[in-house]
Amino acid sequence: MWIYFKLAWRNLFRNKRRSFIAGTAIGLGLAALIFTDALIIGMNENMIQSATASFLGEGQIHRKGFRQTQSVEATINGLDDVVADLKKEPIVRHFTLRVMNLGMISSAANFSAVELVGIQPETEAAVSQVDEAIIRGSFFSGPNDHDIVIGSKLADLLEVGLGDRVVVTVSEARTGDLSQEMFRVSGITRFNIREMDAGMAFIRLIKAQQIFGIPDNVHEIAIQFTGSQYGGDESLPFWEKYSQNGNEALGWTKICSELKAALDLSDFSTLLIGAVLFGVVALGIVNTLFMSLYERMFEFGVLRAVGTRPFGVAKLILCEAGALAVLSILLGNSIGFIVTAAVGKMGIDYSGIEWAGVTFRRLIYPVMEMRQFVIYPSWTFLLTIIVGIYPAVYAAKLSPATAIRKSL
Amino acid sequence: MVTSEYDTIIETKAISKTYSENGVPVHALTHVDLTIRRGEFTAIVGPSGSGKTTLLNVISGLDTPTSGEVWLSGELLSAMSGRRLSDFRRDHIGFIFQAYNLIPVLSVEENIDYIMLLQGVPKTERHRRVADILKQVGLAGYENRRPPKLSGGQQQRVAVARAMVSKPSLILADEPTANLDSKTGAGLLDMMRELNRQTGMTFIFSTHDELVIRKARRLVTLQDGTIVHDEARS
Ligand SMILES: Nc1ncnc2c1ncn2[C@@H]1O[C@H](COP(=O)(O)OP(=O)(O)OP(=O)(O)O)[C@@H](O)[C@H]1O
Ligand SMILES: [Mg+2]
Repeated sequence: MWIYFKLAWRNLFRNKRRSFIAGTAIGLGLAALIFTDALIIGMNENMIQSATASFLGEGQIHRKGFRQTQSVEATINGLDDVVADLKKEPIVRHFTLRVMNLGMISSAANFSAVELVGIQPETEAAVSQVDEAIIRGSFFSGPNDHDIVIGSKLADLLEVGLGDRVVVTVSEARTGDLSQEMFRVSGITRFNIREMDAGMAFIRLIKAQQIFGIPDNVHEIAIQFTGSQYGGDESLPFWEKYSQNGNEALGWTKICSELKAALDLSDFSTLLIGAVLFGVVALGIVNTLFMSLYERMFEFGVLRAVGTRPFGVAKLILCEAGALAVLSILLGNSIGFIVTAAVGKMGIDYSGIEWAGVTFRRLIYPVMEMRQFVIYPSWTFLLTIIVGIYPAVYAAKLSPATAIRKSL
Repeated sequence: MVTSEYDTIIETKAISKTYSENGVPVHALTHVDLTIRRGEFTAIVGPSGSGKTTLLNVISGLDTPTSGEVWLSGELLSAMSGRRLSDFRRDHIGFIFQAYNLIPVLSVEENIDYIMLLQGVPKTERHRRVADILKQVGLAGYENRRPPKLSGGQQQRVAVARAMVSKPSLILADEPTANLDSKTGAGLLDMMRELNRQTGMTFIFSTHDELVIRKARRLVTLQDGTIVHDEARS
C-alpha cells in the first residue's frame, strides 16, 4: 500500500504546474468557504449585538403574559427576591430594571403615540446602549426628575430640541385614570432602528413608576451575561430558575425570534454556498484526475500488465486524489487564513444596511474559528476521495491491452 | 530432457480476435494454433498489422480472444477472474514493451522492486535480487537513477531486469528493440539469449529487425492474422 502513496505523491509533482493550478482552484473553493463561514459568524454576532446590545439585553424577565398584553398591571412577581437572586448569579454581569407604558407625547407643534420607558440610568448604561445612542444633550446627567430622552425621529416630528417642553399622557394602572406630566427634553437618541427612533422616550424609573401608578414595581429586567454564549443558549438552567412564581425569563433567541430565524437562515446559506462551491470543486477534481489518467494511460497499462490488480490501480488513483486534496488543503487553509485574518483586521463596512429588521451599526469582522480549518478541510478531503472513485473505477475497468494501445 | 505435459508452456487453440473499427470488423487473428515449449527463444515476425501485438496480448491475458482457448502452464486463461489473472501475470509472466516500460517517478531499484512488492517478497531478499539482476544486465550501480536519466538501451535493460526479477516462466517482449539502434538492439538480444540459456526462462518477442531475427531459435511468421511460416533454427 505504501508504494501507492509514494507513487501518488511523486506523480503530484510530476506536472507541477497542473497540480498547482488544480490545487489552487480547489484551495480557493475551500478558502472561500472558510471566509464565508467566518463572515457569517461576524455578521451574526454583529446582528445579535445590534439587536441585544442596543436595548433588549441578552435576556429578560417579565411577568408571564406581559409581552403579549403589555398590561401595566402585569409587573414582575416577588421583585425583591428576584433582584437579590440575580445579584448572586455568577453568569450575570449587569441587569437593569424597567417599566414601560404606551402613551401620548405632545409638543406645541404636534403629538404622537409613544412607548414611554422608565429606566435606571446607571445600570441601563451598563446593559444597553441608550446612553451611547445620544446624539444631542446628555443621558440623565443632572438630578432633574423631569428630564426626558427621546428618539431623533420623534424629536423631528414634535419639532422640539434640547430644553423644550413636552407633555406625556399615560393611563394609570388599575384605575385607568389618565395621568399627565410635563418633561423637558434633555437628550436625543439615534439607534438607526426606526421603531426606537420614532417611537420611544425614556424617563427615570421612579418617575415612571409614579405616573404609571405602580410604585416599587417593574415590568422588565434586562440582563447582560458575562459571556455572549449564554443569551443564545436555550437550555441554560437560568431560564428555568427565573421562570417561577408567575414570571418568565427568556433569552434573545426567544425575545427576537425573527432574528433567530434570520440566523438559522444564514446557517442554511453557509450550507448552500458550501454545496455550490464543493460542486465546482468536485468537477475540478474529476477533470484533473482524468487528465492525468489519460496522459499516463500507457503507464497504467504497464502497471496492469506486470500484475497490478484492477483494485490496485483504483487505489493508486484514490491516493492521487488524496495527495491532490492534501496539497489543496494546504493552499486553501493558507489562503483562507490570510484573507480572513486580513479582512478581520480591516472589517467590512455594512453600516446602514438593514437585514431581518436589524440595521448593522458597525463594521463586520469575520470571526475565525479552529473548526473552520478542520471541518471544511475534512470535507474537502472526503469529497476529493469520493469524487476520485469515479476515475478510480474507470481505471480499474480499463483493459490493459486497450490502455497500452491507446497511448502508442 | 524429461517430457511431460509441463514441457508445453503455451498452447493456443484456434484463437481468433476480431476488433470492430467504426462498425467494420477487423480480423486481427484468425484460428491461430501455436504451441510453445519451455525454454524456447522465439521470434514472432510479420508485416505491420499482421497481428503480432494482438497475439502476444492474448497469450498473456492482457486481451481476451474472440474465440478459441489460451492455455498457459496448464491453466485456461479465460476461466480466470481479473484479479486472478493479474496475480497470474505477476507470478508467471515478465513483460518488456517497446518503450516507456518504466514508471518515471520511481528509481531503477523501485521499478524493479515493484513486482516483488506486489508478491510480498521481504525487503532484504528484494534488495539482494535487485543487486543480482542489475549485475546480470550490466547496470550495477544504477539503482537510484530515475528512468528519464537513462539512455534508451539502458532503459530496456532495466525493463528486462524488471521482467526477470520475479523469476517468471515466460517473458513476452513486444518489439523490445524498436526504439533502439540496431547495434544496441542486437546487444540487448544477445543479453536476453544469454539469460535464456542460463535460466531456462521462455522468451517470446516480436520484431521487425533483421539483426534481431537472426538471434531467434524459432521463427513464427504472421500474415493477416494467420501463421504462414514456423521454422526452428539452430
Ligand atoms: N483495439 C483495436 N481496435 C481496432 N483494431 C485493432 C485494435 N488492435 C489492433 N487492431 C487491428 O488489428 C490488426 C493487428 O494489429 P496488431 O497491433 O496486432 O499488429 P502488429 O503486427 O503488432 O503491427 P505492428 O508491427 O505495427 O505493431 C491491425 O489491423 C490493427 O489495426
Ligand atoms: Mg505491434
